Amino acid sequence: MKKADLSNRLLTRRQTMKSMGAAGLGLGLSGLAAPAVKAQSSRPIRFLNSETGRDSLAFFDRISQEYEALTGTEVIIDSAPLGESFTKITNGIRSGTPYDVATVGFIGQVLLLAEEGQIVPMNELTDAHEWGNNILFPIDNQVYWYPFDYNLSVIYYRKDIYEELGLSVPDTWDGFIANCEAAVEGRRRGCLFPIGSNGATNWMSFAFMWAEGVKLFDDDWNVILDSDEMRPKAAAYLDMMARLYPTMPPGALQASYSEVLSNVVAGTLAHGPYAGRVIEAAERDNPEVAANLEIMPYMDSSGQQKAVSHGYDGWIVLNTDNQGPAMEFMRWLTTEKMVDFLHTAPVHFQPARLDIYDNDRWRSNAMVEKYSSIIEMNRQFITDDSVILTSIDTQGPSPDVRPAKVFESFILPEMLQNRILREMDPVEAVTQAASSIRELIV
Amino acid sequence: MTRWMLPGFLTIGALATLVLIVGPAIYAISLSFFDRTSLTAEPVWVGFDNFANVLSSGAFWNALWNGFVYAGVAIVLQVVLGIGFALLLHQPFRGRALLRGVAFLPYLLPTVVAVLTFKWMIDGSLGIVTIKMADWGLPPIYWFETESAAMFSVIMVSVWLWTPFVTTTFLAGLQTIPVQLYEAARVDGAGPIRRFFHITLPSLRPILTVIILLRGVWMFNKFDVIWLTTGGGPLGATEHLPVLAYREAFRLFDIGTGAAIATLSFLVLMVIVTIYFWAFPMDDRK
Repeated sequence: MKKADLSNRLLTRRQTMKSMGAAGLGLGLSGLAAPAVKAQSSRPIRFLNSETGRDSLAFFDRISQEYEALTGTEVIIDSAPLGESFTKITNGIRSGTPYDVATVGFIGQVLLLAEEGQIVPMNELTDAHEWGNNILFPIDNQVYWYPFDYNLSVIYYRKDIYEELGLSVPDTWDGFIANCEAAVEGRRRGCLFPIGSNGATNWMSFAFMWAEGVKLFDDDWNVILDSDEMRPKAAAYLDMMARLYPTMPPGALQASYSEVLSNVVAGTLAHGPYAGRVIEAAERDNPEVAANLEIMPYMDSSGQQKAVSHGYDGWIVLNTDNQGPAMEFMRWLTTEKMVDFLHTAPVHFQPARLDIYDNDRWRSNAMVEKYSSIIEMNRQFITDDSVILTSIDTQGPSPDVRPAKVFESFILPEMLQNRILREMDPVEAVTQAASSIRELIV
Repeated sequence: MTRWMLPGFLTIGALATLVLIVGPAIYAISLSFFDRTSLTAEPVWVGFDNFANVLSSGAFWNALWNGFVYAGVAIVLQVVLGIGFALLLHQPFRGRALLRGVAFLPYLLPTVVAVLTFKWMIDGSLGIVTIKMADWGLPPIYWFETESAAMFSVIMVSVWLWTPFVTTTFLAGLQTIPVQLYEAARVDGAGPIRRFFHITLPSLRPILTVIILLRGVWMFNKFDVIWLTTGGGPLGATEHLPVLAYREAFRLFDIGTGAAIATLSFLVLMVIVTIYFWAFPMDDRK
């Protein structure tokens, strides 16, 4: 191989080395001045947003610019679906580039991060307000998140179908099943409550069981689902769902959020569980259905008790070296911009803070005004102590990771599947589920 | 090439393999010896406890069996259909080039798009398939509502998605078989079936060996189709090892158990691949 002739090069090796050395010196010297520059603007705040609706994304884009113009602090917004947020949060911590603020939709994750010292209490922000029932989940009086909505799962029903068939709003399981059966006609089905192993089933299908008074744990975290008191109630719930199943369309096992939402909005169901997103989607895609939607809570077998299932979302501030500025940003967001944020999904983002319901600016939103009866009813569900407000992941005497594990294990959806798909004896299905929970939380 | 180029490139390759493959693999395996609730939690050394727990759980053996069923049936169908389609597309006919392009389409679709499209097509109320079947007076099909139907459906989706890859590979192989072989066989009076088994299939053997190996490994590790369609349900009927590992690690806050399942899955696959290489050596000289 011929040795390269260096004489015709633009730069010799020595010249190249000299140039690089000079460049390095220049960079080094310029770095000496950097602290002064850096002192003028703090490190950017990294915010993980999980509200990925178009309006919510535009909102965060807008306020990040606004905040930078106001304070000189850059806010970098990353957006990812809620299902990915925990992985992103922990990966960020692990890689040494943690988010300063993040959105979470699962109290179990908040508890885990709090136990590990990865997030800081937010009492300085939450203590300033009054909140709805069962939403702050404090640990030793410390509140580790700022919940911004409830996302209650309630039962939507079509009042035009009710009027047409002469039905009345039921307050017992028998009444509800009868209404669902009566509403089946052609392609229209009575209802759709998911029964698959997914979060939608956990959120939408168990409030009947909570209304019946079923609890998973006692005050000492013993599993009591199969106790003498709970077993017959849980078994009765399974039988009730088995009776509802024939009034559902094929695919209840696969149904998740989008399937339920689409079916309600398309008008192929007389009843369907969901939160306010249904109204927003129906208003956009099928106004006729939107105009005929009303809500009711889940009911028990005897007409004594009502329940709704919460699906809350909130923000956390991570324990980073930027937590001071991050908390200040959150103070600004939750005071100056809270109403604007809630308006990005005006019916779906059901406020967790009670003062919002009386906020004139919030109330002046066209959708809030138009659907005030639904919003008012939802408000009642979070303030009326007689309404059971719970979910699988918030069962038990205090906030804990154990019910969160039950939620994610899908043991309860499998209990439903055992009864409905395998036609298992309901008592056996309950007993099996209880023993699986015991195994899980050991 | 200078004398430094070969060792230089080798070093870069080795470093990349170390950093991107060996390092993460060792880290993942090391996680299986610890108890930790998340990637950020303080790890507690538990030795082989996670492996013992996994091996004594019914869920692991169920998932392993499901993995064999899912991968095995899907590979057989993909190979049989792939060879069939390749033979068809190898014949001269008008519009062949267009049909070859169309046949490859499913493979070009992102899995998430294909799966979600499929799910909406068969939706129990709004799906085009459901509506058309109702229009024709046919009863609805409960695609995922029984344990066997769910497994059948996820296999069908996988076959639909990846048969084009197999078809295209076999088609390329068919084009390398000398035409003279077929002409000679025809002269000797061999019919189409005999020509297939005595010329086509032996000629495709090297491709077949690689395809079965690759598709086997990919299907055994395939996560997205099952996760997006059934999530492993109903009642664990479609839950295979990747889904089980993911669920344990990222849903049940048990990184150690998830890593142990992944490690065992890796070992199972390694054993199978080793046996496969022994049974079907890639190098003909052996």
